[in-house]
Amino acid sequence: MSKINLLLSCSLFSLCLLISGCWDRIEMEERHFVLAAGIDLADEGLKPNQGPDVTRTETFVQPHGGKRYRLSLQILNLKPDGGGDDGDSKKDGDKKSYVISNTGQSFLEMTRDLLGQDNKDLWWEHLQTIIISEAVLKETGLKPIFDWFLRDHEMRWRVRVFVTPGEARPLLEYQPPSGDPGGIFFAGIMQNHRKDMHLAGMRTDLGWASQALDNDADIFLPRLELKDKVVKVNGTAAFNKDKFVGYLDDYAIKGTKFINATEKSAVVTIDSPDYPGGICAFELFRHDTRLRPHIKDGQVYFTLDISLIGNMGEMQEPVNSDKTSDPKYIRKLEVLFAEEVKDSALYAWRTMQAMHVDPFHLNAKLEAYETEAWEKLKDKWDEIYPTVPLVVSVNVTIRGSGEHK
Amino acid sequence: MANLESKNKMSVIQLAIVTASTCIGSQLIIGINKLVTEGGHLTWLSIILGGLLYYLVTLLMIKLGNEYPDQTLVSYMPELWGSFLGNIVIWWFALLFLLQIATILTGVRKAIVFFMFTRTPPEVLALGLLTVCVYCALQDWGTLLRIQQFIFFVATPVFALLLLVSLFNFNPENLLPFLPKKDIPKLLPTMLEGWNMFSGYEIILFLFPLTYHCQVSIAKALGGAFGCMTVAFLACIVIAIGVLTVNGVTSTLYPIMTAMSSVELPGTFLERLETYLVVFWIPVVFDTLAIFLWIPAQVLMQKKQYTDHRPWVLLFAPLIYFAGNILDSLKALDTADKVVTWLGLGFSLGVIPLSLLLLLWKNRGDKTCQK
Repeated sequence: MSKINLLLSCSLFSLCLLISGCWDRIEMEERHFVLAAGIDLADEGLKPNQGPDVTRTETFVQPHGGKRYRLSLQILNLKPDGGGDDGDSKKDGDKKSYVISNTGQSFLEMTRDLLGQDNKDLWWEHLQTIIISEAVLKETGLKPIFDWFLRDHEMRWRVRVFVTPGEARPLLEYQPPSGDPGGIFFAGIMQNHRKDMHLAGMRTDLGWASQALDNDADIFLPRLELKDKVVKVNGTAAFNKDKFVGYLDDYAIKGTKFINATEKSAVVTIDSPDYPGGICAFELFRHDTRLRPHIKDGQVYFTLDISLIGNMGEMQEPVNSDKTSDPKYIRKLEVLFAEEVKDSALYAWRTMQAMHVDPFHLNAKLEAYETEAWEKLKDKWDEIYPTVPLVVSVNVTIRGSGEHK
Repeated sequence: MANLESKNKMSVIQLAIVTASTCIGSQLIIGINKLVTEGGHLTWLSIILGGLLYYLVTLLMIKLGNEYPDQTLVSYMPELWGSFLGNIVIWWFALLFLLQIATILTGVRKAIVFFMFTRTPPEVLALGLLTVCVYCALQDWGTLLRIQQFIFFVATPVFALLLLVSLFNFNPENLLPFLPKKDIPKLLPTMLEGWNMFSGYEIILFLFPLTYHCQVSIAKALGGAFGCMTVAFLACIVIAIGVLTVNGVTSTLYPIMTAMSSVELPGTFLERLETYLVVFWIPVVFDTLAIFLWIPAQVLMQKKQYTDHRPWVLLFAPLIYFAGNILDSLKALDTADKVVTWLGLGFSLGVIPLSLLLLLWKNRGDKTCQK
């Protein structure tokens, strides 16, 4: 064998070293993917007669802390075809996910103890959703709950976090009509926030919550509710720093999105100006929004300049009454839509001030643009914030009237 | 024109590339937190001023090198300082690199284990990385030079491109205020702390005699290298703060990784982008470690008049490995970092200017004699 052939053979043989993979690899089917985590109070959701038994089976002896939380995990079933011959096991196996729970205080300790209920290693890299029950948030702040999720390297920053007024575990057990596992389904809902002005999907995930915690800012998390097999994200849970203070309604979310410029394709409706009972809807395509702080004679105020460009999306008016080719009528509509946006923004502003929560990061804006003034104001900012006025200026431009009049 | 046949020589441009490639290393991921914690909103300015300061030190090194064009510091420092002090300077120089390898290796292995190989003992990972670095440092300068150039033009740009993906979550308002008065007192300490970012430029003292002096001014070429480094570090700092805010960066151990992990590209098969960043960070660190190992081995070779630097590389390798293991605790690593920083600052801002002053003073004496 020539020297070149020998070298070539050795080189090819050495390639085997590269395709052997890592020594510590775990095949995908050897892991159990956690898709969603639900956090309830430890005694939440247990029937009185089964409570102690279930708790005793689920949990573990804790040398420190108390049985504060019930952590439930929704785990992806990678073999949805089941495996058993009898009908029951087949039926169970058909489920794309299953739920296991544990009670304790340390989330890390609970997740490790949950391995006693599962036959494979739990893998958190595909965690999509965290659902926290309102009852938990009335007992404790977000920081102790988030701490482990933020420290562990397997967690993603874009994990969706929800607050539910009921229990979290039933939401994990919920079978979405699409057939997707719940964790993926709920996270997918939040992807629609660009088109739905009632979904607070921007800056409300684990990463943003972490950033708010780092900056001592207020946190906002979408509210997820399950009622009679209907699941909906409606409203937002507001937190003063990490303490739960209440919910914001859909209209306040809409206004907040206008102020924060997080709307992408808003729908603005008004009553038809010429036809009582009719309704006109404007569909936003593009916007330019600026929220700026000002100080005059020691008084702080903010200006909000919004410029919206879009189409007429819908006009519920009588037959053959369309006036969209009349520039005067279009101008009239533009003014009315602008008024509506202004009302919406001011409603959100006043609601936030009344609740003493700030989703607009006004303190950060003051520090950024009026640094010297902020140094004087920062100690009394909590008192000033509820009285800070907002001057709104909205300009709406209707560029088109749709395909058909 | 460089003599391409000579494997132990390089052009001025190559020296600039080697300097930039050596200095850009582990700090991209493990150095940002500390610097922003120190400098707050003014970190960007500290980096620019720090770049200028350490470039000034580099100009002093060039001045020294021009006075002894064919000698390394191993031969001219004893001439300048006398035998005893000259030897101290040489040992200081060698020790600086060796300590830096130990601290970098410890920090890097922690980060790699945390993000990629959670089940691999850090000691095993350090052993692997060190083995590759030792193998590289055993080569002659020509091989090292090509590796440095290859990594500078292949791994570093890919790292930069990947980092740019985190601009998806960039919020320019997080960088404001640009010039907060309250942070001005932090400027000088952050500039000094910034030595950790630029450290490695001291190799010029040793590589100067290996450089062909052609039409391109060495000061200009190294100015370009420092410009490149400043832009790289500035980009990392601006991106980290723009994505995470100043408080976010100070709360995160590896801000660049966190900024990357906040990016999701829906609809693509690419997930966990920060892992890709680590993959391209490893060669960037590797070339720094390899040259940091090669330099003290060469220094000791010349000092002890050996004909080969390899025994010294093989001697240093286990020492570095065990030093890295000793520095494994957070407190030990922090203390070692401080020691290295002060040693480095002492060398750059003390030894180099004093050496030049000494030289000027001696030269003046010579001129007086000539008169």
